[in-house]
Amino acid sequence: MRIGMFFREALRSIRANAAISVAATVTALIAVFILGAFIPSFMYVRSAVDSQKAKVDVDVYIADTASVAQVNSLRDKLNGLRTDGTVAEVTYVSKEDALRIMRERLRDPSVLDELPSNPLPAKFNVRPTDAENADVIVAAVKDDPALDPTEGIVYPESTADRLLTAAKFVQWAGFALIGILLLAAVLLIGNTIRLSIFARRREVEVMRLVGATNWFIRWPFMIEGVICGLVGAVVAVGMLWGIKVGVVDAWAAGADSALTKTGSAAGTIAFPMLTLVLVGAGALLGAIGSGITLRRFLKV
Amino acid sequence: MSDGPDSGRPAFTLVEVPQAPEAPAQDDMAALFSAPVQDGTRRKGDIFRPGPGPMVEFRGVTKTYQGNSRGLDGVSLRIGTGEFVFLVGPSGSGKSTFVRLIIRELRPTEGSVIVGGRDLGELRRGKVPYLRRAIGCVFQDFRLLPDRTAAENVAYALQVTGHKKAEVRRRVPEILSLVGLDGKYDRLPRELSGGEQQRVSIARALVNHPRLLIADEPTGNLDPETSLGIMDLLLRINRTGTTVLVATHDRHTVDRMQMRVIALQEGRVVRDEESSGYHDRTGEVPA
Repeated sequence: MRIGMFFREALRSIRANAAISVAATVTALIAVFILGAFIPSFMYVRSAVDSQKAKVDVDVYIADTASVAQVNSLRDKLNGLRTDGTVAEVTYVSKEDALRIMRERLRDPSVLDELPSNPLPAKFNVRPTDAENADVIVAAVKDDPALDPTEGIVYPESTADRLLTAAKFVQWAGFALIGILLLAAVLLIGNTIRLSIFARRREVEVMRLVGATNWFIRWPFMIEGVICGLVGAVVAVGMLWGIKVGVVDAWAAGADSALTKTGSAAGTIAFPMLTLVLVGAGALLGAIGSGITLRRFLKV
Repeated sequence: MSDGPDSGRPAFTLVEVPQAPEAPAQDDMAALFSAPVQDGTRRKGDIFRPGPGPMVEFRGVTKTYQGNSRGLDGVSLRIGTGEFVFLVGPSGSGKSTFVRLIIRELRPTEGSVIVGGRDLGELRRGKVPYLRRAIGCVFQDFRLLPDRTAAENVAYALQVTGHKKAEVRRRVPEILSLVGLDGKYDRLPRELSGGEQQRVSIARALVNHPRLLIADEPTGNLDPETSLGIMDLLLRINRTGTTVLVATHDRHTVDRMQMRVIALQEGRVVRDEESSGYHDRTGEVPA
C-alpha cells in the first residue's frame, strides 16, 4: 500500500514537472548510451589483447648432440612446469617436423632439396598459461645441457612485454573511463533532479511541516529518478541495438573483415547481458542522483 | 510573567461570533474531537509526555539571528493545556520567531522551549517530524500543495502519519465538511477563495488530532468577514480541548474575542493578560 502510494506520488510529480522529467530522462539516455557504446568496445579491445597474449610461445631448441636421456630430462622439466600451472602445453617438434613446416611455409620449397642434411634443430614448443609466465619458463631451462647452443630459447620477449603493458593500460584506462562516465552521469542526473526539487521547494517545505519524515519525502523522488533512469536506459539500449544490427553486425559479416581473417578469438559482451548492465546502471544512476541531491534539501 | 491557568480552561465569553453559514453545528466538532480516537492508528510515535504541565513553556528564550538582530529576547512564559492565546505585536516583534521555535524550525540561542513536556533542545533530529504531527500549523499563506485538490491536501497529512487508505477516505470528507467545505473536495487551491483555502489548511492541521494548533497570521490575507469565520472555527476547535495559539496583528478579532493576549515588542513580552483586547486597558498601543 505504501509502495503503491510512493509510486503514485512519483508518477504525479513526473507528470507535473514534465519538462524537467524529460531533461532527466535525456540525461540518463546520453549517459547510458555512451556507457553502452564504450563497454563492448573496451571488452573487445581487452579480449583482443588477451588472445594475443595467449599466442606468446616459447621455443626451446634442442642440440643435435643431445643424448636421449638429456632430452628426456628437459621434457620432464617442462612437464613439471605444466603440473604447477605455469605451462599450458608442451609440444615436441622433431627435426623432420621442423623441416616439413619450413617446407610448407616457403614459396619455393625446392631450395630445401639442395641441403645436404637437415639443418633445423628439434624443439619443444611451450605455450605458457599466461604470457607473464614466459620468463619463468626461460629461467627454468636456460642452463639445460640439452639446449641447442646457437638457437637456445626463442620467445617474442619484446612482444610479450608490450602486450602486457598494453593489456594493463587498456584495463586501467577502461576502468577509469567508466568511472568518470558514471560520475558524470550521476552529477548530471543529480543536477536535473535538483532543478526539479528546487521547483518544488515549497512543496517539500509543506511536507515537512505536516510531519513527513525524510524518507517519506525521499521515496517518491527516488522512484522518480529511477523511472527517468530506466526509461532513458531502455531508449539508449534500443538505439545501441539499432547500431549493432545495422552497422556492427553488417561490418563483421563482411567476408573480408579484418576481424575474421586474423582468426582472432576476441569477443565482446553479449547483447542481452549488456542490456541488463545498462538498464541496471540507468536505474542506479537515477536513484543515486536523486538520493544525493535530496540530502541537501532535507536538512534542518 | 504569566502562570497559565493549568487547571481547567479559561472562562471566555463568546461575543457575537457569527456562525459562518456553511459551518456545521458545534456539536459535530465536539463529537469528533473530544472522543478518544478509537482506530488502531492512534498516535503512533506520539512524542508528547502526558502530564499536568503546560502545553508550551518558554524558559528565558533568546533567539539571535545572524547579524546580531534579536528575534526574541529573554522570553519566559507558559501556555496551559486547552488555552486559547493571542500572540500580538507589530511585524518584527518576534511572533514568527516564537512560532517557529515551537515547531523547531528554529532553535533558541539561549534558554529552552518545552512543548508537551518535551524539551525541544533534547529532541533528536529524527524525531522532529513526530513533533510536527502533534502540532497543527496554519499560516497566512495557507501553504497548500498547489497541484493537489483540497481533499488530497488533507489526505497527505494523513498519509504522512501512515493511515490506511480506507481510513483516509473516511476521515478526509468528514474533516472537510467540519470546516465548512462541503462539495469543494475536488477543487484545486487556486480554484478556492482565500477563506476556503485557509479552511483547507485548518482541516489539514486538524486531521491528525493535534494537541496544539498554531496559527501564524491566519487571517492576514482575508477580509474581515472571512476572518471572523476562520476565528470562529479556531474557537470551536479550542472548545474540544485543543490548545490554540494565534499570532496576529488583526486588532478587531483580538478585541472581539477577549482571550488571553500576549503582546510582544522587539522580542520581549510587554503584556500578558487574560480576557483582553489588542491594546492594554489604558488604551495604550503596545506596538
